[in-house]
Amino acid sequence: MAERIAVTFTLNGEKRSFQVPAGRRLLDLLRDDAGLTGTKEGCGAGECGACTVLLDGRPVTSCLVLAASVEGCEVVTVEGLGGAAGHLHPFQRALVDTGGVQCGFCTPGVAVTGAAIVALDVADPAEQARLLAGNLCRCTGYTKIFAALEAAREARHAK
Amino acid sequence: MDLPINTVLRPASLAEALKLLAERPGARPIAGGTDLVVQLRDGRRHADVLVDLAKVGLAGIRDSERGLVIGAGTSMDAIAAHPGVRSRFPALAAAAARVGAWPIQCRATLGGNLGNASPAADTVPALLVAGAAVTIASARGQRQLPLEELFAGPGRTHLKPNELIVSVLLPSVRLGQGRRLVERFVKVGPRQEQIISVVCMAGRAIVAADGRIELVRLAFGSVAPTPVRARATERLLERKVLDGSLRHEALAVVQEDVKPIDDVRAPASYRRLAVATLLDRFLAEVARG
Repeated sequence: MAERIAVTFTLNGEKRSFQVPAGRRLLDLLRDDAGLTGTKEGCGAGECGACTVLLDGRPVTSCLVLAASVEGCEVVTVEGLGGAAGHLHPFQRALVDTGGVQCGFCTPGVAVTGAAIVALDVADPAEQARLLAGNLCRCTGYTKIFAALEAAREARHAK
Repeated sequence: MDLPINTVLRPASLAEALKLLAERPGARPIAGGTDLVVQLRDGRRHADVLVDLAKVGLAGIRDSERGLVIGAGTSMDAIAAHPGVRSRFPALAAAAARVGAWPIQCRATLGGNLGNASPAADTVPALLVAGAAVTIASARGQRQLPLEELFAGPGRTHLKPNELIVSVLLPSVRLGQGRRLVERFVKVGPRQEQIISVVCMAGRAIVAADGRIELVRLAFGSVAPTPVRARATERLLERKVLDGSLRHEALAVVQEDVKPIDDVRAPASYRRLAVATLLDRFLAEVARG
């Protein structure tokens, strides 16, 4: 029987503590222990990007992160991207406006990685594509996702 | 699904981590976990105890008098973005930017890429052409090993269970008058991103003003049980001026030099062709001047 371990970290801006089995993945902690089911499990092997969250500001696939290892870190899920509950991040807003969402399964991961790309202010389309290439989308063909990235980047500069 | 482990230990320093590894046989270090978590989940590796290196402080890149020192806990993303790596070791910067996709690169570490010992590890050919050395620590002290001597076979290193990779040294290059450095990393696979290399190659050449190749190092991944240098090809090319017939000869020699295997990703015949093609493109860049 696995030991239970304590882990305390900042989750969507709030300090939270959990007691979880030693082998728990961050993905399962988020969904099952914290009740944040926006983060999806696709492949479970770090290949599809559906489970992407921000860990200390960088996108990571939460299916490959051991929950115990985020002690003291800052985690942001799709639920926390826009800051306060009910608020959308400018890139989420742009995804809605451009129609960059179809079936929606990849969307939480796309939103998280996209928000990180916007934060880096990447203008080069090839570099945008490289950074987003770990978030597989079967529906959109990516055109509208890239349009949303550009819209969010412009909105950022207009401020 | 929870990983089938018993416990996770979270040391706060390198000394504490080394002590835990010495005291707990069967303990396995975990850094980013991008390989190990999948392997534990699929039963390809087993661990009772994981020693989490997140707080051990092995991340960071610094200059030393011998060269650039990259901490084992440095992420691929940080390596790919580092100005010193990009300018002085461009093959490594390019390789780090091609390990998995960005969310993997933000988590995967250089030490993990080496410790996992995949024959297809993308950073390894780039480190081999840079003449990298690995610093290894245990509770008893430290030792340094040329990177080429680290790997024992697919998924296996010569590390003892109580040892940890702490950093990698990339020796500085001193370019003489009129010399130029050509360094490249290329990988071949069904998709550019997020793919395990079918073949990857790193090359470094130092070319004199008269076109003579003063030094050449060629390394390939995913063509043998461990990443390998193409030494016969290097010997053929060194101290010569590259012309059409030498280039042609090199493409034949390199296919004997690395003896690729058939596996799930590609047949050996494809790999031989890919190896020759990648070398040909590299030599075109070397000749361009």
